[in-house]
Amino acid sequence: MYNSYIPMLTAIKGIVSENKVNDIKTFELSFKNEIDYDNFDYVPGQFAEISVIGKGECPIGIASAPTEKGSIKFTIKKMGTVTTGFHNCEEGDIIGVRGPFGNGWPIEKMKGKNIVIIGGGFAFSTLRSLIIYMLDKENRADYKKITVIYGNRDSGEVLYKRDLENWKTRKDIDIFLTIDRKEEGWMEKVGFVAPIVKEIAPSSDNAIAVVCGPPIMIKTSIQVLEELKFKDEQILNSLEMRMKCGIGKCGRCNIGNKYICVDGPVFSLEELKKLPNEY
Amino acid sequence: MNEKILNKSQISKLFETLNKDYNFFAPSKEKGNIIFKKINDSKEIELDYLNSKIPPKEVVFPRIDIIFEYKINGKDIEIVNSKNLEVKNIIFGIRPCDAYSFYLFENFFQFGKFKDELYLKKRRGSLLIGIGCNNPRNTCFCTSVNGHPFKKEHLDILLVDLGEKYLVEPITEKGKDLILNLEWLSDATKNDIKKAKDLSKKAELTISTKMDFKDTFKNLDSNFNSLLWKEISESCLGCGTCAYLCPTCTCFDVIDENDHYNNRGRRIRIWDTCQFCLYTLETSGHNPRDAKIQRCRNRIMHKFCYYPKNYNLIGCVGCGRCIQFCPVNNDLRLIIEKVNKIKKEKEKEEMILSV
Repeated sequence: MYNSYIPMLTAIKGIVSENKVNDIKTFELSFKNEIDYDNFDYVPGQFAEISVIGKGECPIGIASAPTEKGSIKFTIKKMGTVTTGFHNCEEGDIIGVRGPFGNGWPIEKMKGKNIVIIGGGFAFSTLRSLIIYMLDKENRADYKKITVIYGNRDSGEVLYKRDLENWKTRKDIDIFLTIDRKEEGWMEKVGFVAPIVKEIAPSSDNAIAVVCGPPIMIKTSIQVLEELKFKDEQILNSLEMRMKCGIGKCGRCNIGNKYICVDGPVFSLEELKKLPNEY
Repeated sequence: MNEKILNKSQISKLFETLNKDYNFFAPSKEKGNIIFKKINDSKEIELDYLNSKIPPKEVVFPRIDIIFEYKINGKDIEIVNSKNLEVKNIIFGIRPCDAYSFYLFENFFQFGKFKDELYLKKRRGSLLIGIGCNNPRNTCFCTSVNGHPFKKEHLDILLVDLGEKYLVEPITEKGKDLILNLEWLSDATKNDIKKAKDLSKKAELTISTKMDFKDTFKNLDSNFNSLLWKEISESCLGCGTCAYLCPTCTCFDVIDENDHYNNRGRRIRIWDTCQFCLYTLETSGHNPRDAKIQRCRNRIMHKFCYYPKNYNLIGCVGCGRCIQFCPVNNDLRLIIEKVNKIKKEKEKEEMILSV
């Protein structure tokens, strides 16, 4: 019988360093058994438990989109034992993957809406997945106007530069990049994310806002969205908690009676307000 | 099938017979404590006990459980599936409250889209031969949480201690089949059955702790930010004894144990508890439950609020271990009483106001 704790094996196909200080890398993984890839049926916003066997396992949001066939991608910041283990890996190394887990972005419910994506820092990975998915020629017609506001500390921290350049050439998506302080050669916006959202003032009419980033950015951006008449059910968040199993059994990712790993990680602000403030 | 009689002098025979086909677990004395362990010699079985200190959950949910083992060969990694999960266990002498905890475990581990086969397989391969509690402790309160010292459900066979002998009552088909093979058991008399009934009644009356959970859920649900939690957590040491000895606590940690010298290792899961600060500590340094008050609250909330919300069951079997072994006498009975009172005091206030 299927044992949910046994990882599928993948090999690292490619590694891309994402930032100047080189502590964030994107790993492209290809499954050793093709059937595992077919079974790995995911939507943007889901995560997987990935492991450097011998170092341990950790939950990471899936940065690739299901429309990018053949492999999956994870963007990992070097933080602790497991993520450092990842950063020490080379192409060809074996990585364990369990998943996909969690609910993901509600791509069906988002159909027919204007989508406002607000991201900060390295929390952008599952937003990349969502954008790639929506921009796919099969899916683009399902969504209306797409606006992306993406903020970073400095220009060196901006992830997915190739994708961003790509998106900027397209007419069916509006991209606004911002960094905290002025820099020589930076032609985009300057300032924190929340005031930029205010400046751009996306309409709340028939819209869904997706907010992902550090807590202070989420808090301030939500204030602005509320000023723009976004209702609680129109604002989506993706939460993080410490996790071990990813399948609602190890216990530690609960907020009230909900487990982030199975009931989340995506919650609307309306749902979050019903939960105890313990995350 | 009719009730049978097992003489206490026949316990060794029972063990010898069943030990051929099953791993035979029974209460045994180790370092002065009663625990459930795999018996190799019938002399190790201890029948004069109230209940084990460590709950028998560890037979099917061990403190350390191997998820899988792996071998590293250069760049290649081979995963060896976890040890044989197809077990045949007998847990002899389990108390009805602990047997009920197996039901809660099963319910939790098979809830939702993902099943925990590590647990479920071992559970399905385990047969429970319980012994009714003739002498419940003063910390016991099973009758307040859907239990009874002689509760049959969740057991395969119930034994009742009649002094020199046990009355043997098969409950499930599995239990009946087992007894059919023990043709040397004698038949019980009407007198034996009556005696067992009297003992059951007497045991029920012995349980003096009556807890009322009628308002507990509602009160907990609406008092997450109550000052009560400060009061409750003040004396707590955060030692985690309550959780480690709790038959319904399921939480675990997962780690890789690497044997660098032999290029192999294993991924294991080990018991963990929300009473520990590190349990929720994130790599960034953020900790959603970094204060003791939050951790104490989570334990009570989980069992008496979140559990009923998610599974329509109370996450407690009334064994009283957490009360008995808490080093600072943090008494669950008093905690629940305080929780129940929150509303009554509020009502009182309202009544005074309305007058």
